[in-house]
Amino acid sequence: MSRDSIFSKLRSTTSALKKRAPYPDYDISVVHSAPRLEGGDLWDIFARNFKAVSGRTMTSVEELAAFLTADVSKHGYCDPALFESIGSKLVAAGLTVETEFDRSRYDDYQFGITRGTGAIAESGTLIIDDFRTSHRLAALSPWIHVACIQHSEVVRTIPDAIASFGDCPNIIWVTGPSKTADVEGILIEGVHGPGEQIALLI
Amino acid sequence: MSNVQPIDLYARQISDEKQASVIDGSSAGTEKRYAVLGKDYKDPDALRKLAGSIKDHTLHHLDHYLEKAEAALVKNGAHVHFADTDDDARNTILEILRSHGVTRLTKSKSMAAEEIHLNPFLIKNGIECLESDLGEFIIQLDNDEPSHIVKPIIHLNRRDIAKTFLREGVSETYNDDPRTITTQARVHLRKKYFEAEAGITGANFVSAESGRLVLVTNEGNARFGMAPTPVHIALVGIEKIVPTDRDFGVFLNLLGRSATGQQLTVYTQFINGPKSANQPDGPEHMHVVFMNNGRTDVLESNCREILRCIRCGACQNVCPVYRQASGHAYRSNYAGPVGAVLSPLLFGDRFPELADLPKASSLCGACNEVCPVDIPIPDLLLRLRDKAKREKVHSPGAIPMTPFGTLATSPSLWRTAMTMSKAMNHLPIEVAPVKPLQDWLGQRTLPDWHGGDFRKWLKGRKEKS
Amino acid sequence: MSTTARPVTKRVLLMGTCLCDAFYDDVAKATVQVLEHLGVTVEFPENQTCCGQPAFNSGDWATSRKVAKHCASVFSGDQSVVVPSGSCAAMNFHGNLLQFEEHPDASIDSLAKRTWEVLDFIVNGLGITAWPGEFKEPTKIAFHRSCHSRGTGTGEAAMALLSSIKNSEVLAFGQAEQCCGFGGTFSVTFPHISGRMGSLKLDHVLEHKPDVLTSGDMSCLMHLDGLARVQGRAVPYKHVIQLLRDSLPI
Repeated sequence: MSRDSIFSKLRSTTSALKKRAPYPDYDISVVHSAPRLEGGDLWDIFARNFKAVSGRTMTSVEELAAFLTADVSKHGYCDPALFESIGSKLVAAGLTVETEFDRSRYDDYQFGITRGTGAIAESGTLIIDDFRTSHRLAALSPWIHVACIQHSEVVRTIPDAIASFGDCPNIIWVTGPSKTADVEGILIEGVHGPGEQIALLI
Repeated sequence: MSNVQPIDLYARQISDEKQASVIDGSSAGTEKRYAVLGKDYKDPDALRKLAGSIKDHTLHHLDHYLEKAEAALVKNGAHVHFADTDDDARNTILEILRSHGVTRLTKSKSMAAEEIHLNPFLIKNGIECLESDLGEFIIQLDNDEPSHIVKPIIHLNRRDIAKTFLREGVSETYNDDPRTITTQARVHLRKKYFEAEAGITGANFVSAESGRLVLVTNEGNARFGMAPTPVHIALVGIEKIVPTDRDFGVFLNLLGRSATGQQLTVYTQFINGPKSANQPDGPEHMHVVFMNNGRTDVLESNCREILRCIRCGACQNVCPVYRQASGHAYRSNYAGPVGAVLSPLLFGDRFPELADLPKASSLCGACNEVCPVDIPIPDLLLRLRDKAKREKVHSPGAIPMTPFGTLATSPSLWRTAMTMSKAMNHLPIEVAPVKPLQDWLGQRTLPDWHGGDFRKWLKGRKEKS
Repeated sequence: MSTTARPVTKRVLLMGTCLCDAFYDDVAKATVQVLEHLGVTVEFPENQTCCGQPAFNSGDWATSRKVAKHCASVFSGDQSVVVPSGSCAAMNFHGNLLQFEEHPDASIDSLAKRTWEVLDFIVNGLGITAWPGEFKEPTKIAFHRSCHSRGTGTGEAAMALLSSIKNSEVLAFGQAEQCCGFGGTFSVTFPHISGRMGSLKLDHVLEHKPDVLTSGDMSCLMHLDGLARVQGRAVPYKHVIQLLRDSLPI
């Protein structure tokens, strides 16, 4: 009923318009921010912009192990597909790593290591999606989230990332730690999602 | 006080503390916006105008694009519903929840849901419905109303919030440190996310091409509302459609910058179907409810440009009247310049109740200057003033304009009045029994009357030459 | 608002504005003097009254259309119409188009196409981008960009002219985008909010201790002066066109 009613009102209203605006012909490059795109290597541009939104970039598992062991974060999750290359090295460094995320013990996981789909250089954004990321909650619930991405997966601009959507029905862009400024406009990181977002180059 | 405009009255009575919160919050928002757009773009205005024209095109062909979006979503396994009225929207959502046996849910911030007062309705129907955006969560605890589109608790300070948390048992002791407040909310809400059987969201944009809903939050609460949860329901105003995914590039680059001075909001989600088979958690069922609730009437009116709005709050931040009066003065869930246009229109037959809102503007045009979709808000305010006058809605304190009309269309009368009124310089007009004039002169003085002097000077020059 | 298509004639019609007619005769005088100095012949149609803005902004469009039509008939022809007010100019080329949308009128369209705010006329019409004037003393100027000049050439035109005067210093002040709170009938129907807006504007403007406060609209200056005097912090104020005149040896 509602459907018919809405469409019949829309049809009569739009067809009665004296002028209907055409779709503007535009070059999507107008949305690129030149200062944010300065530089040559896409990973370097990404790293600079990711840092500007309080993200951290790391280029080795050793660096990650050192960061996690220096922190109080001793227990976490790792995508089973990444266990051999990353998880096992963290275990060797003295951390406890699970390859299952048991939602009934959500508070046990202080870090979550997942596979990212890519990153956007221009905005310092991690791309994660349902196809590549092994577990939604593991990328969201722990205080520290580590997204593993390859150099070739970094795209230059926001429109480039949109153009490469493909057919995944759930794509998430994460531009830094979860944050709020609801209380007096003061920026606080780590509201519901991670307080630390780490991009690990693999 | 029937001769005082309600919004002016509200501004007189607002506490200094609340007003300071609003002024500080909104001024900071404006400054951040100017800084980031100026830094990133040579010509931010061109981008605003482009976005406005994409929206106009979509609105003018909305039947076509809405149908396309519906088809794309259905193809991807989402259930699509339509709700013509607020009642339809509430009942549709309740039916969906009941069909899945949902008794507990979390909800991320949605202006469409605010518009139809979804929370109280669901709670009345026995469903535990928790707001997950920090600001909206506090509003819910206080049984308050949001006063800003992006910063719902712009009118509160940390002490207000700490008191609420203590009173409602979110905290055990009073602590007004913003970090502590945020952590307390994190702990409290986390449990609720895992217990919830559904997540309700709005949507910022919907692509007709792919059916993708774009959802943005900084806190990640919308993401959390559909991570451990088997059912996702999105309530979407029909005007949220854009033609293609490519257009997201234009709108996303404007939305974050206009709203909070960010290039992108932290969590930007593109969803056009239930979770993928490989995901252990997440919605197996996705429902999209497209809501009209008066939007087709707005589209038919001469204020249809307001439907371009992408809910960034930039016009609220920059508006000097909003800053003085706060969002609550607008008595509807859309406050500030956008609200002064949209709220009276969405009120439909009850337009007279909010016909004063369009008057609450000096027509300074700052709202149009910052609008990411270039809505000519001052023009729309003027059209609504004309509408109110034509529909003979009483306007408190209004000055009758007929005498002015007579004077200004009778040149000789006008010239005489100019010279005669010199007497004003010698009259104690501050005691004139005209209430608005007294109010005005209570704070201001008028310059000396020089009526007709320029004309005399011109005449003298002509005679000399 | 495209400003390029409007005609620039050597004989212009001066729209003196009701505020200058009633209070600010010297602003109208200065407009004549500056334009004549630039070789422009100024005619002042005697039957002019007001552009109709008070009724228009109040929503009484039946009345404001009558006034606007009177105005359009007084200023008929093909000469440029020059106004020392951004707000009255905007009424002619923008407000009128709104209120006549459903009542098309050739005289209204013609007036819209020929109206210039005076500073816009000098810079973008006559092509004068620097002002050959000089102040005797170093003068700190606070320029309030009036709201009705948003989106027009007036703000930049005024800044260009003022800053090129010898011995002038144009001050930058905070929240320059904010309104003075006048808004015509708005200040009468919303006296409290309007007063607060004006006081905030004064806070920002006076912070840098200007020698003179200026604008392209006397209505803003009248409002700010009216508040400042009651608050005991009056500051000298002049229309930009007066400053241009005062800096010349005329």
